[in-house]
Amino acid sequence: MRTAALRVLRDADAARECVQDVFLHLWRSGSAYSAQRGSLEAFLVVCARNRALTRVRGESRARETARRTDAPEDYTMEEDPIERERVQRALTRLTEGQADVVRLAYYRGMTLAEVAADLGIPIGTVKGRLSAALRALRRELTVEGADGP
Amino acid sequence: MDPEFHIGDSAELYAAGALDERERAEIDAHVAECRDCLRRLGEAEETILTLERVSVTEPPDRTASVVPLQRRSVASWWLAVATAAAFIVGFVIPHGAPRSNVATLAMIGSHFSHAQFAGTGPAAKVIYARDRSWYYVIVAGSGRYDVYGIRNGRALDLGATQPQGATSELFKRIGKPFDRLELRNRGAALETAAIR
Repeated sequence: MRTAALRVLRDADAARECVQDVFLHLWRSGSAYSAQRGSLEAFLVVCARNRALTRVRGESRARETARRTDAPEDYTMEEDPIERERVQRALTRLTEGQADVVRLAYYRGMTLAEVAADLGIPIGTVKGRLSAALRALRRELTVEGADGP
Repeated sequence: MDPEFHIGDSAELYAAGALDERERAEIDAHVAECRDCLRRLGEAEETILTLERVSVTEPPDRTASVVPLQRRSVASWWLAVATAAAFIVGFVIPHGAPRSNVATLAMIGSHFSHAQFAGTGPAAKVIYARDRSWYYVIVAGSGRYDVYGIRNGRALDLGATQPQGATSELFKRIGKPFDRLELRNRGAALETAAIR
């Protein structure tokens, strides 16, 4: 959770606060999680990421841009390099239009309206491409995982 | 709840963080009563979890005339590293015997970090053990470069990189916590990587 928030916020203290906010929110509101939903980890990571994105979208765009530009290039690498390459390969198989919206909406945290303005396409098209991209990634990763060693 | 309403594509938009708080609240209210949509939302969240578990570079901007060299190089290096690791652990059976690779074995056996060299030389990277017990320098191209470890302003010669196909590499097992590594060519410092 903290890593997901950190990737959006680029600030360790802000990421820690974000995770605390998520747990506090879930505690107060009653958790929206149930076993039928799937992985608890996936649910919490998406909660943390959504909370972090809400926070940065509330800041001035200039401050956010400056922080992202200053972000360090090196990440701590405890992850599996083979899994990393698998995801990287799945991303390269997206269509050009899908890759554009994933890059802007997911990796840069832009709103749908911002993505639409940046690419000069209707917001409905952005929604359709982003949704199709994630479904395509799921198919790619599921098939690769099933065929893998 | 409107029985005709289902979240549809909004599952992926929710999981990707593309919806605002009001839109997410509507989805939350719906999935609390619709098991099919709940399952679909869970699947979309699983995809996001997979993306979050690894630090991949974002998809390239294919409309840009220039692709940043550093990002492209990182991806290609990781392909090489992943391939080497695959040989070692037996995921890929090469023609002939698997080659020995001490750097890959060191990475499999310990936690590590990495840093990019910055300066006037070729694209280069150092992968190093968290406990600083080893350093693995990879430089794009087949040139030979002297690698120095810098600690409190004092430089220690770690040796020269050796051409390995499309890259030139040096693996050094040395238990010293350097502040930074320098790549030099004929005594002139070309670029530096900070060790954090």
